[in-house]
Order: sequence, then structure tokens, then C-alpha cells
Amino acid sequence: MPRDVLDQEKSVTFGLMLSGIRKSYGANHVLRGIDMNIPAGTVHALLGANGAGKSTLLGCLSGATSPDDGEIVIGGRPYRGLTPTQAFEAGCAIIYQHFQLIASLSVADNIFLGQERRTVLGAIDTRRQEREAQSILESLDVEISPKSLVGSLSVGEQQIVEIARALRRKPDLLILDEPTAALGPHEVTALIRLVRRLATTQGLTVIYVTHLLNEVLQVADAVTVLRDGRVHWTRDRLDLEMKDLVDSISPGSSLTGRASDCEPGAPMLQLEALQCSFTGPLTTTVHANEIVGLFGLLGSGRTNLLESLAGVRRSVGGGVSLSRTSPASTRSKSLRAGISLVASDRKEQSLFGSMTAEENVLLPHYHQLSRGFRSRGRERAAFLETAGRIRLSPMSPGNPADSFLGGNAQKLVVGRWAGELGDTSVLLLDEPTQGVDIGSRHEIYDLLREFVSGPERCVIFASSEPEEILALATRVFVLVDGVPREIAPEDITENYLLSAAQGSSGEAEGTSK
Amino acid sequence: MTTLESTTMSPPSNSPRTRQPGVAGKKLVLQGINWFMPAATLGLMVYFSLATKSFLTGGNLLAVLTQNGPTFIVAVVAAVLLMAGFVDLSVGSTLALAGVCSGLTFLSSGLIPGLLVGIAVGTAIGAINGLLIGWLELSPLVVTLGMLAATRGVAQYLAPDSLYGFPSDVNILGNGSIFGVSYLGLAALLVIGAALLTMNRLPVGRKIIAIGVNARASYLVGIPVKRLSVLLYVVVGLAAGIAGVLQVARLDSAPSGTLGVGFEVTVLTAVLLGGVPFNGGRGSVLRVVLGVWLIAILKNGLTLLNLGPEIAGIVTGSVLVLAAGLEAIRFWVQRSK
Repeated sequence: MPRDVLDQEKSVTFGLMLSGIRKSYGANHVLRGIDMNIPAGTVHALLGANGAGKSTLLGCLSGATSPDDGEIVIGGRPYRGLTPTQAFEAGCAIIYQHFQLIASLSVADNIFLGQERRTVLGAIDTRRQEREAQSILESLDVEISPKSLVGSLSVGEQQIVEIARALRRKPDLLILDEPTAALGPHEVTALIRLVRRLATTQGLTVIYVTHLLNEVLQVADAVTVLRDGRVHWTRDRLDLEMKDLVDSISPGSSLTGRASDCEPGAPMLQLEALQCSFTGPLTTTVHANEIVGLFGLLGSGRTNLLESLAGVRRSVGGGVSLSRTSPASTRSKSLRAGISLVASDRKEQSLFGSMTAEENVLLPHYHQLSRGFRSRGRERAAFLETAGRIRLSPMSPGNPADSFLGGNAQKLVVGRWAGELGDTSVLLLDEPTQGVDIGSRHEIYDLLREFVSGPERCVIFASSEPEEILALATRVFVLVDGVPREIAPEDITENYLLSAAQGSSGEAEGTSK
Repeated sequence: MTTLESTTMSPPSNSPRTRQPGVAGKKLVLQGINWFMPAATLGLMVYFSLATKSFLTGGNLLAVLTQNGPTFIVAVVAAVLLMAGFVDLSVGSTLALAGVCSGLTFLSSGLIPGLLVGIAVGTAIGAINGLLIGWLELSPLVVTLGMLAATRGVAQYLAPDSLYGFPSDVNILGNGSIFGVSYLGLAALLVIGAALLTMNRLPVGRKIIAIGVNARASYLVGIPVKRLSVLLYVVVGLAAGIAGVLQVARLDSAPSGTLGVGFEVTVLTAVLLGGVPFNGGRGSVLRVVLGVWLIAILKNGLTLLNLGPEIAGIVTGSVLVLAAGLEAIRFWVQRSK
């Protein structure tokens, strides 16, 4: 049989097959035997809560990690595990939530980054790159000039450039990790249409990771839900209804447990038309013992809002006042007033990777624990107290922070403020359980509930996961394009939150369902 | 044809990385890397003691301490600065300008005013560096490189010719001693003590390291990153000022063209030999002291052996590159699971 016919046949019949994929980090079993079968030319949606194993599974496909056990079959070829190069050669292209584009380069340059077309003399053949980029973009039916700078494009257009870059390598398998997280409603529709077309006309196998259930129903041919490192179920789109998806994502038992039974105390934090760049105005009063949830998509302004509350970002108008002390306009002032922030992106913004667990917890409190000179005894005792409270594992003060897995690393940075140390009264958290396994997740929720049960304390957190809002918040605001809106308690359902955050009028959605 | 088919169909062999060094072996390697510098220093000292009669004498070792006093004073403080992730290339010229200014004042107004002027000039240069880098967030390399050239120029402008003929008490400051330890050596020991205390026993020590590890996170946990980094540059300037005054006093002259030339390279070499990474975030004052000491005894021992300074350069450079190689191995061993 001629080789090219064989290859062609393979790519038609085979898409992606996974059998028995397992991956553990120490005692933490992230993937416990994943079996999936995705025919070529179909779009397969992958769902699952944070910590269900989605990102690890994608890591196995992109070559970022390699599975302990199991087999990956791409285009008919079996692999025990992939290196990034092998993944590339096998035809896997993955597009991450955070774009890997270089803003100061043109669209064409970005599309050919790392594999530049060259002239005979070895210089970059700009004209040829632009011509080829143009034809790829035309095949995607979009009007983006290959010459324009990526930095000048809208987020939606950048997403398209990412896809164009992936397609330039002529992949067999395209993986999209939360591709619409930063897109507006129109761009989402356009993207979904594009993905459908790529699958049906070009025979591309697509894995589409998202937690926006409406999208799933629009884009997918089949759906797999992951839970605790296993395939919870896989179903054909035709056999599915919205209700199945909602039930599978937030199983009533495991994540609910609202703190709403705790009565709000005296007013603590007053926001008067607080406004910062692109966000606000927000006027509200946060009471003691409250956990306020800010729900919004990437770029909705939830981070801006938290940062201006923390005094990290300058507010443009309005003000913050605390019942105890004066307004917080700078970081050091707001810290003195007892406002602490656990920023998102743990590695970049909150964890001191090469420092020890003990140092990570105690860093803001060394002065308080010292009498002129530091006291190792007092420090160790304070650390052990906090470590016990956050149920740190392993309980080793001297281990560097980046040796801890996601959940326990996050416990370190939350425990830094939520312990008995220091004087935090307003705890702000941005995506408090990003990259945290399900067990630690509950422990962090418990920790926060325990924290607010004390006198004169409240929590404000931002999240892009409806299930997290449902599990933790006693009051909820939804942010759309920087505009916050409070949601009535009886409306706080997953569907309502999702549609409200997408910018569609939440009420119509809510009543029709 | 069959062979072709079989090659296309056969799975790419991807042998799992089974070769795992045992945990004990890994620890041993890491320990070995940790002990390389101290062992090298000790080895050299033993060699020089055996090869020369005069190396291992109290007088010689104290002389080494005195001669390298300025390096000790500045290197230890510059090491603390580097732990926070900042570098200062201007220390050589700062030392020169401070020395020249104090020399001019020695001639016009005597010992104490000269001492104060020298220290003030060093501190002022440190403050300028600090404000530009710590506060305005300009690039440390660029700013201090510019300062290196500019300050040298000012020093040569102020005193085109070498200054000499200072009052006699200047010579006492530079070459006098109590209990056999020179004032210069004493100053070095004091600075080393202060740095050890700061980094190991004061809360601010952890904050300095934290800035070097992750400046953004440091800011978010409330560490005054800007204020601390300005302060660190000021202290480095102060140290270079003190070193400049003492150096001029020891030489009993202030040659503006040669004073402290190449000093910043010696300081940086010693700091890096002491294991402070160029990006900061880690480091031990004691090891940096060892780094200075290694360079110092190398020069001294080779002189005693009647070998030229070029050998010292070759050995110092090789040890530095070797240390960098060992760091890479450490990184590699730590990462492999």
C-alpha cells in the first residue's frame, strides 16, 4: 500500500484515542485512568471543575508532562508519552488561555515565529510570510491584515491569530483551552462558527475546554466530563440537555455548603462609587462576617476592582472607607488598615518559590514576631500554629515553597493572612483556588469561612467559576465590562451567573430556563 | 515496502527516564557542591602554608586582611544588595571620588573633616543610584555603568594629579592598629558583623531576600520595596565612601587616575564566588566573606611564591567559571526527580 494513502486513511479514521492515562504527583492522583476516543473531524468538549484533571490531561497531550501509565494514540500512532517536539510532530497544536503572542510584532511575524520563512541569503522573507499569512487568514474568513501589529488588535482578533498560527503547522489535533475566556459575545459566536467549520471541512480533531455550558451545546459533537481524575461520562451532543451539564459540573453534594447561614454583622467596609480605570462605579457596604463573590470573565474588571480595594491600583474616583480606620489609597496604608490581598497567578504574584514554607507564611509578620532581633522559637511556633490551621501537607517548615503542590502552595499564601498572625480584617482573594485540587479546595473554603466567623472580618473574592461562587459567597456581584451589578440571593444559580457574565440580560435567560 | 510500512507504523520509542539517582546520592552531590568553595579555600591555604614559610603567620594573615579591607567592606554590602536583585558597578569610581574628596579635605582641613567628607560623598552617590534605580526603576546595569564613568571623571577633574602630603594623623588612621589589628581590618570586621546580623537576625534580612525572589509579591505583602532598594544603594555608597577614605589613608596618597580602578570587578567576582546568584534571591554573607578571602589569599600566596598577578587572574577566573558550572549542576540535580 502506498504510504500517502495509508497516512490519509489514518487521519480520516483515527483522531485521538486515550487509554488508561494515569498521572500522580506524589500521593496526589491527578489522573486515575482516562479513556477517551475522539474521531477525526469532530469537536469534543472537555468539562470539569478546577482540579478535576483537565490541565494535567492537556499537559500530557502537549508534551508538558508525561503520563505515568497509559497510551496516547494520535493519527493511528501510539505513544507512551510525548515530549513537546513529539507532540508537535504528531500534529498536536494547543492554544492556551493566555495568548503566547508577541504584541510588538506583526501578525505575519507572529504566525511564523520560530519557523520563519527565509530568503536565499537567510534573512526573513517578510513578503512571503505576509502572503502565506494572508492566505491562512483568508481561509479563516477573517479580515485581519498580516501587517498590523498584534498589540493593536482586539482580544478576539488576537485569538484568531493564535489559531492561524496553530493552523500554519497543519495540525491534526487542535486543543483550545478556554478560548472564549476573554471574548465578547459576538466574538464568541464567530469563534464557535470557525471551530465548527475547521472540524467539518478540514477534518481537524478539536478538543474544546471550557466551563461555559452554553458554548458546549453550540460547539461540541460530544462531551466528556472529568471528575476527580476520571471520566465521569462521555455523551453525544444529541443525547444532551443543559440540565445534564449543570448537574454533572456542580454535583449538588460536593461543592455546595453556602455560608449564607451566618448572619452579617455590623457594617465594615464602605465603597462610595469606587471607580478605577475600566471598572466601577461600585457603591455598597460590606458587613462583618460576609463573603462577597465577584463573578466575571477574564478581563471583566474583577482584578482591577480587588487591586484598587487593596490600594495596589489607583482608583479614579469615589472612595473606600473602613469602619475602623481611614481610607486606603496606597498599598502600605491599606495593609496597615488590615486589607490583605491574595493575588491571582500564585507563581508570579504571591508565592516566594525558592523561600521556605515558613518564610512564605511569616514574611509579612517578621516584625511582629521579633523584639528587635528575630526569635527563631517564636517564629517556628507561629508557623506551626498556622500550618496546623491550614492543614499543610507535608508539614515541613524548611521545604521550599515551590516543592509544594498547587493546593498546598495556595494554602501557604492564603494562610499567610487568614491565620491568627497579623491584623487582617478585610481579606481579598483573586481566583482563590486556581490550579488547586478538589481536596485542598474544600480546605481553603473552610479556612475562609472560619476566618470570617471572627469578629470584624470579611472576605471579598473574585472568581471565574460559578461553582466557586455558589459554594462560598454569601453575596454576589457580576461584573460585565467593568460594571458591577449585585445579584439577588434567589437568582444565584449557575446558569444565571453564566448568562449574566456573558453580558446577555440575565433575567430573560433565568426565567426561560 | 514492508520495511517502510513497519517503520511508519512502529511506535516511536520513548524510553521512560528510569535512571533516577537515589535520594542519598542526590544529597551527597548537593552537599559536595555546597562545600566546594570552603574546601577550595582551605586547600589553597594548606598548599600555601606548605609551599611558603611566611604564609601561615599571624602577621601575614593580618596584612592580607588590611590590604583587602576595602574589598571586604564593599563586597559584603554589595552582596546584600545583589541578594535583593540589584547590582552596583559604580563602586570603584565611588571609592575613588570619595577618596579624592577626602584627600582634598585632609589637605585643607585635617583628618576628621576629610573622613566625614569622604563618607558623605560616597553616601550621596549611593543615594543618586538608589533614587534612579530603586525609585524611578531605571536599569541598575545602565545607571551604575554611567555612574562608573561619570564619577571617575569628576574625581580626575577635581584632582588631576595625585594628592599627597597629608597630615600625619591620616597615616595613623590608614596604617595604625590596636591589639595588632589595623583600623582598616577592624572596620572590615565590623561591617561583616553588621551584615551578618542584618541578614540573619533582623526581620529586614528576610525582606531583602524576598525582594530578590519576587519583587511583585514582596510589594503585595507590604514590603516597602522601593524604600528598601534605595536604602540598600545608599548603604553600598556609604561602604564605598568609607573604603575610599581608608584606602587613601592607607596609601597616604590619592591618585585619582588609578584609585579603585577595577575594584568593582573584584567586588562582583567575590560576591559571585560567594554564591550569590546574579538575579538575587539567595545568598550567605559568610560565603561572600569566604569569596573575598579566597581571592585575597590567592594573590598573597602567589606573590609569596614569586609568581606574577597574571596567575592570580587565571586561577580566580577559572574558579569563578567552575563555581558557575557547579551551580548549573546543582540546579539540574535539584530539578531531576
